[in-house]
Amino acid sequence: MLKNDKDIDTEFCHIPMGDGTYHDSNQKGKITRMIILGPGCAVSSKELLNFLHLLELPINIRLTCYGANLNGTPEHVMEAVQKARAIDPSHIFIKFRGFPPGDPRRCRAKRGGAREGFHQIEAEYKLLQDVSYALEHPKHIDITVPEKISVDEFIEVVNSVDAETNKK
Amino acid sequence: MKVAIFPPNSMILADMIVRGGHEPLVVQSEMKQKVTSPEIDAPPFNMTEEDPIAGLKYAAIEVPSGVRGRMSLFGPIIEEAEAAIIMNEAPFGFGCVGCARSSELTVFSLRRRNIPILELDYPTSRDATVEMVYKINTFLDELNEKEAKSDD
Repeated sequence: MLKNDKDIDTEFCHIPMGDGTYHDSNQKGKITRMIILGPGCAVSSKELLNFLHLLELPINIRLTCYGANLNGTPEHVMEAVQKARAIDPSHIFIKFRGFPPGDPRRCRAKRGGAREGFHQIEAEYKLLQDVSYALEHPKHIDITVPEKISVDEFIEVVNSVDAETNKK
Repeated sequence: MKVAIFPPNSMILADMIVRGGHEPLVVQSEMKQKVTSPEIDAPPFNMTEEDPIAGLKYAAIEVPSGVRGRMSLFGPIIEEAEAAIIMNEAPFGFGCVGCARSSELTVFSLRRRNIPILELDYPTSRDATVEMVYKINTFLDELNEKEAKSDD
């Protein structure tokens, strides 16, 4: 008997995994968030998973190489996200996700190869160390875009430079 | 305040906005509506006939349907945006790839909205990355001030 013939996934987990069936009614009113641990994070994904389990919230938690995926009602997921972020605020990042974890249409166990979104995480992970540094050392800087000078002022500058070069 | 981001699937930009106390408008939220609705069950072939029609608001009928389909996803983000953070010059493979024209049209539509916009270049060094974060945080704090003033 194949693993997929068993109903084990649906028995213990609301998200069917790898059996090709998917019931969107399970996802009504639920959201998914990805917790991503940046370089130099104070906790590992295993520790994060233990922490999330100890919260005893009615959410689905999936351990991943970069952190964890959470799926459940918005209030519970956001509570878990806020508490998880508080462990190490400058090294823990949160990403939105459209598909629920383990969705056979996206899960690599079913499709083979990394999900498309994983490459984006890989690209952004390269910046996270410096982003964490900036979050630890907050600073305000001027973001006003410099205005272009008027044509008259530009002509004046050109004339003054010309005059100086002619003197030489 | 609802802040649109470009690339619309960027984790760093969305995370910064959440930290700043605002709501990021990300493409994943739009995708969620699509992939958990009963009429679509086979992404990436996840378009209904309504999608290209919705995209007609942004691109004409002779424009490839792929652009219109993508604009039907980005459309609500553009409509709802009260501010925007746009990252330019990102390397190939960063953000939504597949249709550069849709990306250009999205950025163009956001610029036309006449909302506060922070334009950044993709950082190429440590200092540039740190400065990018400072710029985003300053921009979000200014949005907070504007919001507080409008409430008064």
